[in-house]
Amino acid sequence: MPDYKLKEVKILNYQRPEIVKGYADQTLYVNLSDQQIEIKPVAAEIKKTFTGGKGYNLWLLWNAVQPTTKWNDPENALCIAAGPLGGTPIYPGSGKSIVTTLPPTTASVMDSNVGGYFGPYLKFSGFDALQIQGKTSKEIVVFIDGINQKIQLFESAGLPANAYELSAILTDHFAEGKPRNISVVSTGPGSKNTLIGCLNFTWYDLKRRRARYKQAGRGGIGTVFADKGIKALVACWDNVTADTNKPADKTRLKNVAKLHSREIAELDPKQNEMAKIGTTHLVTIMNDHDLLPTHNFRFGQHRQAPNLGQEVYRRLFDPGFDGCWMGCTVACSHGIKEFVPFSGPYKGKKVFVDGPEYETIAGCGSNLGIFDPYTVIEINFYCDAYGLDTISVGTGIAFAMECFEMGLINETHTGGLELRFGNRPAALELVHQMADGKGFGQILGQGVRKMKEIFAKDFGADPDIMQDIGMEAKGLEFSEYMTKESLAQQGGYGLALKGPQHDEAWLIFMDMVHNFLPTFEQKAEALHWFPMFRTWFGLCGLCKLPWNDIVPQDNKDTAEPAKVMKHVQWYAEYFSAITGNEAGPDDLIKMSEIVYNFQRIFNLRMGFGRRQHDAIPYRAVGPVTEEEYESRAERYDRQLVETFKVAIDGKSTAEKMAILRKNREAQYEKLKDAVYKRRGWTSDGIPTLKTVKRLGIDFEDVVKLLKANGVRT
Amino acid sequence: MIQVAGKQLPWYEGMTVSDLLDALKDPHPYAVVRINEQYITQPNFAKTIVPDNAQVFLIPMIAGG
Repeated sequence: MPDYKLKEVKILNYQRPEIVKGYADQTLYVNLSDQQIEIKPVAAEIKKTFTGGKGYNLWLLWNAVQPTTKWNDPENALCIAAGPLGGTPIYPGSGKSIVTTLPPTTASVMDSNVGGYFGPYLKFSGFDALQIQGKTSKEIVVFIDGINQKIQLFESAGLPANAYELSAILTDHFAEGKPRNISVVSTGPGSKNTLIGCLNFTWYDLKRRRARYKQAGRGGIGTVFADKGIKALVACWDNVTADTNKPADKTRLKNVAKLHSREIAELDPKQNEMAKIGTTHLVTIMNDHDLLPTHNFRFGQHRQAPNLGQEVYRRLFDPGFDGCWMGCTVACSHGIKEFVPFSGPYKGKKVFVDGPEYETIAGCGSNLGIFDPYTVIEINFYCDAYGLDTISVGTGIAFAMECFEMGLINETHTGGLELRFGNRPAALELVHQMADGKGFGQILGQGVRKMKEIFAKDFGADPDIMQDIGMEAKGLEFSEYMTKESLAQQGGYGLALKGPQHDEAWLIFMDMVHNFLPTFEQKAEALHWFPMFRTWFGLCGLCKLPWNDIVPQDNKDTAEPAKVMKHVQWYAEYFSAITGNEAGPDDLIKMSEIVYNFQRIFNLRMGFGRRQHDAIPYRAVGPVTEEEYESRAERYDRQLVETFKVAIDGKSTAEKMAILRKNREAQYEKLKDAVYKRRGWTSDGIPTLKTVKRLGIDFEDVVKLLKANGVRT
Repeated sequence: MIQVAGKQLPWYEGMTVSDLLDALKDPHPYAVVRINEQYITQPNFAKTIVPDNAQVFLIPMIAGG
C-alpha cells in the first residue's frame, strides 16, 4: 500500500433533493481553476428538449465553450451524466454513464458511454450531470458523497499513477467498510502522455471482492481528464432499489422490467451466451464473413482467427456474475483472474484483467496480425491500467505496422523496433512507451491523424498512400469492423457524428450478408432510424445490448427484425413508467433526433459538421493495394462487370482498381446525398432551418449559426 | 436424435447444417447457428456435419457492436 495523502481543500455541504421520476433536476458544477463548487437547477424547457444523459451534457458543453475553444483550454468542460432511466436495478442494462467533452483527437464534440456505478450514484446523490471546467497543476480528487450530502475536493499526493491500483485504493479509502457504495473514475499515465487516453469507471464485484472497471474509451476523453488535473472522481451512494428512481408508476415499471429481464435469462443461453462469453463470439463470426479486420483492415479473414475466438476465451474467463450494473441479466463484463503478464511493471505478478471484449480482440489482435490470446489479454490489461483506449491503440499500431512494412517508416524512426505485423513484443513495447511518453510510442500516442502528418513531415513518407490506409475519420480511429463490402456501414462510420465508432449504426449484416438494404433510399432510411434509436440509449443511461443482442424468439417473423420492435415498445413503456411522460416508439426517435441534430450543429459551430468532414479513407471503401484486389479478384471483377457495367477484358489490376475506386467513391457520395435528405439536412450536411424548427432547437444562436453557414430554408 | 431450438429431431449420418435448415423449412435467413458450444456461420453451413445428440441453437440475428 503506497503512502498517500488526501488533503481536503474545499467542501460544500448540500441538501440532497429527492429523485422524482428519474430526475434530480439539478447538476453539479466544479471549476478546478478556482475550486468553485456550485449546484445548478435544470430548467424545465431544457429537460423537455434534451431528455437527459448526452442531451444534458451537450447543452452544458455548448454553454461552456466557444467556437475557438481547444481541448486543453480551461473553459473546455468534461461532462458526465446518467439519464432518467439510469440506475434502475431491475431493468437489464440500466447503469450506463455518458461522458462528453471537446477532445484532443477530433477537436469537436466527443461522447463515450460506459458501464460501472458512477452515473447512477451521481444521480442518486442529487445530480443529473456533472460538469467540470478549469484546470489545475495539482492532482485533485473530487468526492461526491450522496450519503453524507457533501462535495469535497482533495489535493492528493502519493497515489499510484495507474488505474488498476488507484481504483482499488480509492475504493478502500472512501468505502467505510462498504466498497459496493463506491465508484471511482480515473485514468492513468497513458492519458497524460498521449492524446488517446480513456477513463475507467469502477463497479464493485462482491464475489471477487475487487473494484473492477469499464472504459469510456473514445477520442481522448481521458487525456482531457488528466490535463485538467483530475486524479479521480469518486461517487458514494448506498442501497439501490426499484424505488430509488422514484418511478411514476412502479407497478408498470416492474411489469415491463420483468418481461425483459426474464426473456434475457431464458434466451441468452440459447442465443449468444453473452453471460458466459461476452462479445467474443463475434470474432469467428466476423472472420467467416470476411469482416474481421486483419493487418490494418487490409483483409477480413485469417486462418488463425479462431485462436482469438470464443472457444478460447470461454475457457479463460473466470466464471461468475459479471454485470457492470446491478441486476443486469446480460452480465457480459467478463474477466480473467490470475493472469501473469510477461512484460512491463506487472511482469511475473498475478493480476485480474477486465476483458477482453470483441473490439479489443480485433483491434489489438487480428488487426495487428497477432493471433495469440495471451498477448491480447496483456495489451488489454496494460491499456486499462495506463488509461489508453484499446481501439485507438490497436488501429494506431496497425497503421504504423503497415507503414513499416511498406517502407514508409523504418527502424531509425521506430527506435529500432521491427514493426512488422505479428510482432507481439513490439506491440507490447509500444503500449509501455505510450504510457511513458517515450520513444516511438510517444508519436503513436498522438493517434493516426497526427501520425500521418509527422510521418510525412519528419520522415518523408508519402501522404497520399497514408491518407488511403490511415484508418481514421474526423480524427478518430476506426473501431473494428471491415466496411469495404457494405456501403451502408461505410455510412455508419463515415456519417457518425463523433467519428467512426459503431455505436450509431451497425448495418453490416443487414446490408452485406442479408441484402435487406439494396437501394440508396433503404440504406438512408436505416442510417436515419438506427442512429436515432441508438442515440436514445445515451439520453437515458442505458446499454444497447439488451435491445438487439438477445431477441424474442418470434422476432424473425416480424416485419423489420433488425429493429426488434417488441423491445423498442418495451423501452417506450419503461420510459413512460419512470418519467410519467407517455411515450411510444416514435417519441423515442424524436427525442434522439433533437439531440442528434443539435450535436451535428455543435460540430458546425466548432468548424466541422459539413459534407467534407464525413469523408473516409479509401481503405474503408475498397482495395488500396493490388494484393488486396487480387486476394478477392472474383468479387471485385464481378462488381465491375455486373454493377458498374465495365468491360474488364485486357485490363490490368491497376486499371481495374482505378475504375472500381472511382465508382465506389461515387456511390459513397450518392449515399451521403440520400442520408442528408432523409435527415432533413442540406446537401452540405447541415440541418435546415425547417428541421431545427420542427425539432424545437431553433434557438437564436442556432439559427444565427445556420444562416452564417449559408442555410436559407 | 438431435435437439433443435428445444425440439427433438431425427439425426442421420452425414447431416450438414444446410440439410438441417432445409428440413426445418424455416424461411428466416439464418447467418449463424450454434452446435453445442460451436458457432457455425452461413459460409460453412454446407460443409459442417451435425453430430448425433447435438444441441442446435438457431441464432436469430447478429447485432454487432
